[in-house]
Amino acid sequence: MNEELESRLRAALRPVAPSDEFTRDLIARVAADQRSSSDARSAHGRRPRARGWWLSASVAASLLVAAGVQHQLQERHERERGLEARREVIEALRVTSQKLNLAYEVIKNQSSFPADDKPGA
Amino acid sequence: MNEAAQDFSDEQLGKARAGEAAALAALIRAHQRSVYSLALRMLGTRDLAEDLTQDVFMQLSGNLKSIVSSTHLVFWLRKVTSHRAIDQLRRRARIETIPLDEEIPQLSTVDDGDPLLHRHLWRLLLSLSPSARAVLLLRYQEDLDPIDIARTLDMPINTVKSHLKRSLEVLRQKAPNPEPLRCEGKSP
Repeated sequence: MNEELESRLRAALRPVAPSDEFTRDLIARVAADQRSSSDARSAHGRRPRARGWWLSASVAASLLVAAGVQHQLQERHERERGLEARREVIEALRVTSQKLNLAYEVIKNQSSFPADDKPGA
Repeated sequence: MNEAAQDFSDEQLGKARAGEAAALAALIRAHQRSVYSLALRMLGTRDLAEDLTQDVFMQLSGNLKSIVSSTHLVFWLRKVTSHRAIDQLRRRARIETIPLDEEIPQLSTVDDGDPLLHRHLWRLLLSLSPSARAVLLLRYQEDLDPIDIARTLDMPINTVKSHLKRSLEVLRQKAPNPEPLRCEGKSP
């Protein structure tokens, strides 16, 4: 009984073909899909070049920024050196002024003593 | 799959993988009957079967690089078609819908076969669960043994055997007298 049923099933369930029109459309669509996938892969293959361009641009921008920062640091360093020199000059002038004042005071004190006050006069 | 599909050579597959449109077309022609028939008998309407067949071959075109041999290709097509059909049936609200008479698809290649047999087998097929239907189709349409069916459907072999036994029991109980429903279409 089972064998008979199985043979009837096999006979009834033999594969059937879709319509020719469907087959043509199917082949055309799959081929188009494969072409578009291939194009997408080609575009994907160009990405490394785009990445290379971006890498070059990034390196160039980084160098420019580094040069700018270096320039600013140098300017600040020179400005600090100028300020230090100015402070040193001011300090030297202050010391010189103090010494001159001291010398002036000594001369002034000496000139204020009368001549007869000098011993042996 | 049918013999033409089985004979599809690894060389042609290689050409299709390399992007040769003619080889890809030959591949589709060799395997479409099996994929379409599986889809048609699983889903029940020509429109759904054509949509599923197209989806399967679209997916294949994107996965050709992973197909290592023509045997692997046949296995892959059966597996993807079966799983997609089962998923689709499970998503549908009424999977047991019986199509109108004019929508009953051709079950057999025998054009002069008894239409009553087609109709009856169609109803019987639709009365089975999606998994049981897939098991039955892989067994009697694709002529796979239970081990290969289990591999194709990712199903324990005992479940496959159980589906087959139950399905045949149901079919045997509901099947009409074979004499008037002979599929060969011979004149009385």
